[in-house]
Amino acid sequence: MKHWWNWRKQSDELEKEIQHHLQMAETERIERGASQNEAQTGARREFGNVGLVKELARDVWGWRWVEDLYEDLRFGMRMLGKSPGFTAVAILTLALGIGVNTAAFTAYKAFLDRSLDARDSSEMVNLALILHSGAADSYFSYPDYETYRDRLHSFSGLIADSGNEFLTLSDAGNSESRRSSADGSLAGKLGLLPSNISDKEFASTMVVSENYFSVLGVLPLRGRTFGEISELAASPTVLISENYWQKRFAGDPALLGKSIRLNGVALTVIGITPRNFVGTHLLVPDFWLPLSLSPLLHPAGGALRDRENLCCLVRGRLAPGVSIEQARAEMTVLAGQLSALHDPHSEWGKPATALIWPGSPFPLPPERLSGGLKYAVLLVMVAVGMVLVIACANVASLQLARAASRQNELRMRLSLGASRLRLVRQLLTESALLGMLAGVVALMLSWTFMKGLATVAAGAFPAQYGTLIFRVSPDPGIFAYVFTISLAAGILFGLAPALESSRSALSAALKANAGTSPMRSRRLRGTFIAAQVAVALALMIAGSMLIRSCIRALKVDTGYDIKRVVNLTVQFPEDPKYNAERESALVRELRTRLADLPDVAAVTSASPPVYGYRRAAVSLNGETPSAQNTRTVLCFSYVQASYFQTLGIPLLLGRNFQMQAGQPELSVILSESAAKKLWPDENPVGRSLRLGTDGQFHRKDEALPDGPTYQVIGVAGDTRGATFDGSDAELVYVPLADDRPQDYSILVRTWSDPERFPHEVRAVISSIDPDLTAESHTLSELVRMTATFFLPALAAVIATPVGLIGLFLALMGIYGTVSYIVVLRTREVGIRMALGAKKRDVVGLMLGEITRPVLAGLFVGMFLAAGASYLLRGALYGLNTVDGITFVSVSAMFLAIALFAAWLPSRQAARVDPVVALRYE
Amino acid sequence: MPYQNRMELLQGTLDLLILQTLMWGPRHGYGVAQAIRANSGELLQVDAGSLYPALHRLEKKKWIGAEWKVSENKQDVKVYKLTAAGRKRLTQERTRWEQITDAIAGVLNPAKKENQP
Repeated sequence: MKHWWNWRKQSDELEKEIQHHLQMAETERIERGASQNEAQTGARREFGNVGLVKELARDVWGWRWVEDLYEDLRFGMRMLGKSPGFTAVAILTLALGIGVNTAAFTAYKAFLDRSLDARDSSEMVNLALILHSGAADSYFSYPDYETYRDRLHSFSGLIADSGNEFLTLSDAGNSESRRSSADGSLAGKLGLLPSNISDKEFASTMVVSENYFSVLGVLPLRGRTFGEISELAASPTVLISENYWQKRFAGDPALLGKSIRLNGVALTVIGITPRNFVGTHLLVPDFWLPLSLSPLLHPAGGALRDRENLCCLVRGRLAPGVSIEQARAEMTVLAGQLSALHDPHSEWGKPATALIWPGSPFPLPPERLSGGLKYAVLLVMVAVGMVLVIACANVASLQLARAASRQNELRMRLSLGASRLRLVRQLLTESALLGMLAGVVALMLSWTFMKGLATVAAGAFPAQYGTLIFRVSPDPGIFAYVFTISLAAGILFGLAPALESSRSALSAALKANAGTSPMRSRRLRGTFIAAQVAVALALMIAGSMLIRSCIRALKVDTGYDIKRVVNLTVQFPEDPKYNAERESALVRELRTRLADLPDVAAVTSASPPVYGYRRAAVSLNGETPSAQNTRTVLCFSYVQASYFQTLGIPLLLGRNFQMQAGQPELSVILSESAAKKLWPDENPVGRSLRLGTDGQFHRKDEALPDGPTYQVIGVAGDTRGATFDGSDAELVYVPLADDRPQDYSILVRTWSDPERFPHEVRAVISSIDPDLTAESHTLSELVRMTATFFLPALAAVIATPVGLIGLFLALMGIYGTVSYIVVLRTREVGIRMALGAKKRDVVGLMLGEITRPVLAGLFVGMFLAAGASYLLRGALYGLNTVDGITFVSVSAMFLAIALFAAWLPSRQAARVDPVVALRYE
Repeated sequence: MPYQNRMELLQGTLDLLILQTLMWGPRHGYGVAQAIRANSGELLQVDAGSLYPALHRLEKKKWIGAEWKVSENKQDVKVYKLTAAGRKRLTQERTRWEQITDAIAGVLNPAKKENQP
């Protein structure tokens, strides 16, 4: 700015100086007897070219470039204004490309790359340990946390949180909005929320250490935050979030100081946290509960004093002047001392090193996050990057076509003495100007989009689940990003056409003949079109493969009934009165009562098949399965005899399970594929096998089928499970003893309307025990929540609009380019028509010019798509890597649309009047 | 190449002439041109296209200073004057100029030079 001002001042002064010179010369001539007029012209003649003198004098000060830039910008603006159609299309194209990129970058930053919600959040860090095995673990036990908090000097404060819990809320007054909000939320509409079968109200509660708010440096909106631990034990308190206070209590100021009950424990609401305050999380919870009160609310579990109970994520504020490296060194020493206090057989009993990284809501540093997430982020970034490539190629081909029609102007400027560099600079300035304008439009576009997305995110869950906060506040980094992209894009797409057209203008200046585009720029234009088509086609194919994969995941024959089977999970109150015997009895009674309902066909206790199964090694010779004798590793599932009827799985051979004196017999039923795998071409009934789960994943206290020899008594139809490759169709059904049915879901096959069924169940449950709560889903709803469906669905939701934008941009490019070719070749068309060419021939000529690059693009695009689908293979359900139908149909459709886009402007050429065309120049 | 050499010579000479002219007191641009013309017996005509770039170049090098004054007919006039650095430069330029003219004279009249000692 200062530069600019200096330059203006300098200019004014020079002007004055020259005027003075002229005046002096004039006065002198008049004194010598010349007339006014003679004096004036004489002085001017003697002085010479005023403009040139000014320019030379200013050159001395090195202002030339400012002036040139100013001139270029002014001229560029005028040129852009002269062809508003081109300008609008180019700006819109680039804006779409840049906008999509900005949106993706903002979303990434707002969601994955965000810091903690704290004052001076750059001082906050996350803590974790790299265990002896090399794995990073960010969960600490409460006693360990206390030790770190009290003994580390590198931190001015350490906080712990054990995450989000759903607690029953009572004594909170009536809430009218509760039911309707659950149905109106996005997640509710998508069927992602369970139907809650109880009159109980739940609230999401974040459990955090007492110093949480003071270390984060956040003051309550009203009231106060937690006091000392001793004080909390005497009078239990809780904080409420502003969002929930508004949603659930309509901002009632009288709530402060009142008491509510969570899990039946009376707690005084002492403060309200600021609106949208998420602390160390992504969601605004309904309540914040101090960690020290956790045992009070969970009398059965919640052993805070247990050093092996890894409950909490730990974060800290670095003390002033302490580096992450220093803090890490101090923490590693203390971690070594603490490992001596742990069970020496566990991983935590072995030496570990500390891991500290800048504060983030995610439990692990970015480089250690799961591969799937990084992969998804990369995929999205590549896809949106490709859209930008299309947009740039598009505008470049437009620019090239326009530059071709500007040959006359460029030639004129060259012959008037403009240097080639100067012309290139002029064209580049125009491109950069386009890029900047597009950047501004893109910023507005993506901003509106992100704001909309943030609103959707905030309303995605009903109040009791908390509020998802998606911060899209103005960020200088994002501004910088957009403008860098738009400027770079401007220069990038302007470069090739600028060099090309200045070169051709130079050579063409020597030849008198113009009117057809030079061969070189035609080839370049073809390359740009081919590039657009290739990239857009790859995006389209990837998108449609993902969509087909989703449809397949929904439509695929699972081998069991997913529409008529309801999965019911029962929760018991957290109360010592509910012991294992009572819970089992309640589940058994519930099962009996459900089976008595008129429209229920069958009831069973089992895990729903949609989540996949555990695996066990199989040996056939009666030995315990070991590395030497294992025949294969198969999936297994514990089921009751009623399982097959409930899910509608046919028994193909043999018989069903029978109970012997209340205990299951030692027998198994194999799925068809499992039978084929173990005994190909033989009758498996009557054979026996042993199972071993050693080395396979299983949870603590889970029933295991290890040990006994099982006899195969039957073969059931294949079912499709949760894996992408369908490997879990090979399944061993192991009979389930009915001693702990509360560990399993209740599956119900019903003829009733799945919408109405939860209400019938609710009546049954409250007649058995009004304190029970339950959730119900149909199996098809559960399928939609599994990774098998969800991953490709999410990928399709992102890839499809991106692909469509790509297609749209490529078509605009083809349309625009053909329009320019038509204008360029008007004279040629006129000659052809004068010599007797038909309209059809002319259209064919125009289409011919575009067909070759489009075909080349389709060819390259198919290769790109094959590569993309190879990368996507992990997310595609039941499709070959190269899905022929998709490839051929999408390419054919693309070709048809591309030719249509080229045909529209080609008709213009056919309407050329030969006489007019020949007079054209 | 020869063209460039000529430019350099002229440029250097013009700088010397301007500095010398300002030796006798501050002047505006037109005044400098007039003084050079008068003192060279109307032989040297400095055109504006060379004068102003030269003046601004010398100003940028801080050999001459510039100052805005108001003339009798109430006009803003830019007046140049010699700085201390300019004075020093002038001495150097003069010495160089005299060496060059001596040298050229020596080449043009070789006999004289041999006879001199």
